[in-house]
Amino acid sequence: MVQQTKLSRLPARFPLACQWEITCRCNLRCVMCYTDCRNRPDFVRDELATDEILRLMDEMAEAGTLEICLTGGEPLARPDFFTLYEHAIRHGFLVTLFTNGTLIREAEADYFARLRPHRIEISLHGVTPQTFERVTLGTGSYRRCLEAVGFLLDRHLPLVLKSTALTLNRHEIPAIKRYVDSLGTVPFKLGEELRPDLNGSNEPYRYALSEQEVTALNREDTELWEETCRQKTTTPMPCESGMHRFHIDAYGRLQLCSGNRAESYDLRNGSFGEGFFNVLPTFACEWKASRTTGLIRPIVHHA
Amino acid sequence: MGPATVYVKNPDYVQREVAGECILVPIRRRLTDSNSIYVLNETGTALWKRIDGARSLQDITAAFLDEYDVTTEQLTQDFETLLTDLLSIQAIDEVSVSDGSTD
Repeated sequence: MVQQTKLSRLPARFPLACQWEITCRCNLRCVMCYTDCRNRPDFVRDELATDEILRLMDEMAEAGTLEICLTGGEPLARPDFFTLYEHAIRHGFLVTLFTNGTLIREAEADYFARLRPHRIEISLHGVTPQTFERVTLGTGSYRRCLEAVGFLLDRHLPLVLKSTALTLNRHEIPAIKRYVDSLGTVPFKLGEELRPDLNGSNEPYRYALSEQEVTALNREDTELWEETCRQKTTTPMPCESGMHRFHIDAYGRLQLCSGNRAESYDLRNGSFGEGFFNVLPTFACEWKASRTTGLIRPIVHHA
Repeated sequence: MGPATVYVKNPDYVQREVAGECILVPIRRRLTDSNSIYVLNETGTALWKRIDGARSLQDITAAFLDEYDVTTEQLTQDFETLLTDLLSIQAIDEVSVSDGSTD
């Protein structure tokens, strides 16, 4: 018997890891969020129902999927979140949760401590309420987020904190990093990539930093700069979305990744196996081309 | 770990078949294994699937010897290693079996 963190023997195409946007509902209104345009009752009514999600989880388990990342929107904004979560855990999926943290109180943290996730990633937008809530537009969200961090750390849950660098919080990113470092064991991720919202609007880019600003920001911290240099010196691999990873949106559409929704397979009207094995390989993605074609940009990390 | 010992699976481990491999996923993870999965080899998989809380190690071994081309010595050694590993991660427990005696 071997203890491992990843499987080593996988076919070239295998449905190993799913990123699942289980809802576009959210209790916050982050200014750069690309799903918030669907955080409306008319869209919510069309989201997958509980039994549809459970059925798809069963099909994915049967197909061999091991990792499921539950994201949103805010996953905990679904009233049935813990039904879905427990189903996933009891099926032996390694469950990662992307959350804003503000709906995690002690009872929720206790629940996660009983049925532990693989990882919980919380977005931390600032180290002051003013900056944090200029991003989230949610009064009290700063306090609730930090309280959630405390609840999870008290229970030794596997936590990752991450920030998206924006014009609104750029001045606090180094302080966020120092705060996370002060927690001792919590990894920190800094993202700079924004994307158009799901309705096609470029509104999130209003808050984007220039390349020069991003470079200057990363230079302010040794670890951030080392990671930047590592990415710049590593030859980018062609995108492998759809090979071992795939994406499902809130309406049950199977896609190559969250960054490429140009084509979808409707899981409401078909099986997961049919969608992954027969239909997904027919979807186009410019990032999947050979790196020698010149179509590959220096950094590709959408997933 | 005698031949009459009976083992039962801990329900806090879920068996998964992933790309032809049999893996064990702990669903009530300890702090030390929060990111780990356990991959069973062929013998380990066959043993795991036969652990049912009823059959003794002797029963399982006898069934194996009928089915596979392996020596008793080799099988005993492999099982001992596997059972030690499974016990160490608490994936199985020994079942208390009454010997029928009275005090």
